[in-house]
Parts: sequence; C-alpha cells; structure tokens
Amino acid sequence: MRHVTPLGNQGMYILDTAAWRVVRPVMDKNRCVNCGICLSLCPVGSIYAEGKQILISYDYCKGCGLCAAECPKQAITMEAEVK
Amino acid sequence: MSYIDTIKKLPQVMTPGSSACQGCGGELITRRVMQLAGNNSVFAVPPGCMAGAGVDGWSYQNGCTAPIHITLLDNTASFLSGVSEMYQRKGRGDVNIVAIAGDGATADCGFQSLSGAAERGAKMLYVCYDNEGYMNTGFQRSSTTSLGSRTSTTPAGSAINGKEQNAKYLPLIMSMHNIEYCATASPSHMMDMVGKIKRGLECSKRGFAYLHIFSPCPTGWSFRPDESIDVARRAVRSNIFPLWECERGRYYLSFDNREPITVREFVKSIGKFASLGEAELNALQASTDSRWALIKRLCER
Ligand SMILES: Cc1ncc(C[n+]2csc(CCOP(=O)(O)OP(=O)(O)O)c2C)c(N)n1
Ligand code: SF4
Ligand code: SF4
Ligand code: SF4
Ligand SMILES: [Mg+2]
Repeated sequence: MRHVTPLGNQGMYILDTAAWRVVRPVMDKNRCVNCGICLSLCPVGSIYAEGKQILISYDYCKGCGLCAAECPKQAITMEAEVK
Repeated sequence: MSYIDTIKKLPQVMTPGSSACQGCGGELITRRVMQLAGNNSVFAVPPGCMAGAGVDGWSYQNGCTAPIHITLLDNTASFLSGVSEMYQRKGRGDVNIVAIAGDGATADCGFQSLSGAAERGAKMLYVCYDNEGYMNTGFQRSSTTSLGSRTSTTPAGSAINGKEQNAKYLPLIMSMHNIEYCATASPSHMMDMVGKIKRGLECSKRGFAYLHIFSPCPTGWSFRPDESIDVARRAVRSNIFPLWECERGRYYLSFDNREPITVREFVKSIGKFASLGEAELNALQASTDSRWALIKRLCER
C-alpha cells in the first residue's frame, strides 16, 4: 500500500476511503501533459509525482471526479469501479 | 519554483483516510495549509467537519504527522495565543502556530477569542475554511451563510425561503484589527492560495495573520462532488467571493474581475439556492455588487 504520508509500520489503522469509490479516475497518458493541475486539486492527496510523471494512486482515492473535471486536457475519465 | 512544484515536493502532513465527503473543499484546504506549514508546526482544529473527519487523530484512523490540538468550538485563537507565547519564551519562534477552523468556530462562537487574539497581535496564522454553515452537525446556518441559502435552520418553505439575512463579511472585519496580514483565497485559484498561505506563515512570525478561504461543500450545499472547484471559481468570478489581501493597512485586489458573471450563473447547479425566484436573486445580486464596489474602493490595485 502506498501511503501518501508514511505512518510507520506499527502506524495507525487507516480508514479505507478507497472502498467508497463507485467510479475510478483513469488517466490517459497519451493525452496527459504532466502539468500537475490535478495533483494540486485532489482533496485526498491521491495524485503524486514520480519524476516528471503525474500518477494516480488508488489506495485512498474517493472517486470524487474533481481531477477529471479540472484536467485541461481531458486526460482523465471516470470509469465504473469493478470490485 | 512554481506553486505546482512546491506542492509536488513537500510531503503531506495530513494523513490519508480522512472521512471528509467526496469532493470536500475543506479537506483540500486543510491538506494544503498543513503541507505548506510542515511538521515544525503546532496546529489547532476545533470541532467541525475537519476535526470530525479525523485530522486531530481522535478516531485513530487518520490524523496528521505534526502536533495538533482539538480546541473548543469557541477558544481556538485564545488557546493558540498561549501556545504561541510559550514558544516565544522558549526561544522557539521558528515553530508555526496555525489554526484551521470552520466559519462557525470563527465568525460566531469563536469570534470573541479570535478578535482578542488579533487585537493583541498574537503570533499565529488563523485560517478559516468557510463552508457557510455548521456542516458537521447537519448544515445549520451561520453568520457567514449567504442570503437565500437553504440550510436546516433556514429551510425553503412557505414561511421563509432560505436565509433571510446577508452574510457577515468577516475578512474585512478581521482586516480592521490592524493585523499583520489578512487575505481571502479560493481553492479554484490555487496559485494565489498557495502564495497567501506562505505569506500568512511569514507574517505570523511578526503578529496575527488571517486567511479566509472559500470552502465548497457538496454535501451541505447539494451539488455534485466533481464540481467543487468550478463552484469556487464561479464564486470568485461572480464577486460572491472577491479575492484581495491587506498588509499593514493597505488593500490590494488579487483578481481584478473586469467581466464578472452574474449571481445567477453562480447559483446554477447548487441545490441550496434552487428555490430562489427573481426577486431573491436580484437581492443577492445587489448585495454582491455593493460589496464588490466597497472592495474596489478600498483596494489600491
Ligand atoms: C460550544 C459548542 N457548541 C456546539 C458544539 C457542537 N458542534 C460541533 S462541530 C459544530 C459545527 C461547527 O461548524 P463550523 O465551525 O462552521 O465547522 P464545519 O462543521 O462547518 O466544518 C458544532 C455546532 C460544540 N462542539 N461546542
Ligand atoms: S491535469 Fe490532466 S494533463 Fe495535467 S497532469 Fe493531470 S491528467 Fe495530466
Ligand atoms: S477522483 Fe477525487 S480523490 Fe480520486 S484522484 Fe481524482 S480528485 Fe483525487
Ligand atoms: S459536509 Fe461539507 S464540509 Fe463537511 S466533510 Fe462533507 S463536504 Fe466537507
Ligand atoms: Mg462551517
């Protein structure tokens, strides 16, 4: 599990907000220009940078769809969550 | 460094697993303020949605990596005055002393302690996330709730149609305390918001700094969670929430809104305004216009 904040391996039990999701954001890397706007607006801190790449972690993403709505390149689509 | 690089680089202080609703503006604001203040900080978050969502750590399911206190609804600023004074006396003025409080805890119940701390120039950054009501207890109206809003204590019915009073304009009142720094911000204008949080932290080393941040609430206001940023943007562009800052008695516009959209364009898609008719929308437009005119007169640029 990729923690946005390391809590230590004895750390707290964390509320699994990923279980709330009914839709999940899927990033199309052919469209994405790695501008980071989605990263700056995700309320959950679920979008992260790896080098220049902007990526979505599904560990806690609540599926709100803000990132998809705000992406200037329409590079994120919300797809039905399959459990 | 661009504001996005700053956000990319700095570690999160608020942990994941917050139980704030999907698309909550308050969570985004809290995360950003905590991230920019960093771990060398003492936070105070009074009862409200952010404390309820667990940022204080009470639920053991989430929290933050810095010291944090859950204050009372009405004493956040006086509590932090004491904490701040202690750190000053210990020679630890480097520690950021930061409040993140709702509008109820700020404009209503907490106003006496806030006003006192501001007047004394207590060294802290006080951030109010304004979701225009007591959201954590079921969307009751507060003094910052805007005119015409449907809340659980100002319902839309036959006797009244939403809140009958205008919102109290707290940021201007705070600026009149001659504090080091006072500004309004919105998550839709993230570059401006990041700059103001940083400036607020700097100014908190010399005295009282206050930030009033527009905080869209999809659950309480009845709109889709993916629209939060758009709602905030429309609030700024319609002058419902003008962006300005005040430093040492001088006021500056942060966003000169030359072609404002109408209040009607702001309220569309927000359920809490759904029952408003012509006359009520005209009243909201008139009060918005007069406040914008006042802000423009005050600001030097
Ligand atoms: C003196 C007092 N009265 C009432 C409460 C109950 N209470 C807890 S949270 C809350 C709502 C606070 O509203 P606000 O500060 O705007 O934060 P929000 O919930 O909107 O984030 C209330 C009324 C309390 N904790 N203390
Ligand atoms: S906002 Fe869109 S283009 Fe920019 S990094 Fe995110 S997905 Fe990529
Ligand atoms: S859907 Fe919402 S929580 Fe998930 S990554 Fe996008 S903005 Fe963040
Ligand atoms: S009720 Fe509103 S302010 Fe509270 S957590 Fe939900 S969206 Fe955020
Ligand atoms: Mg509130």
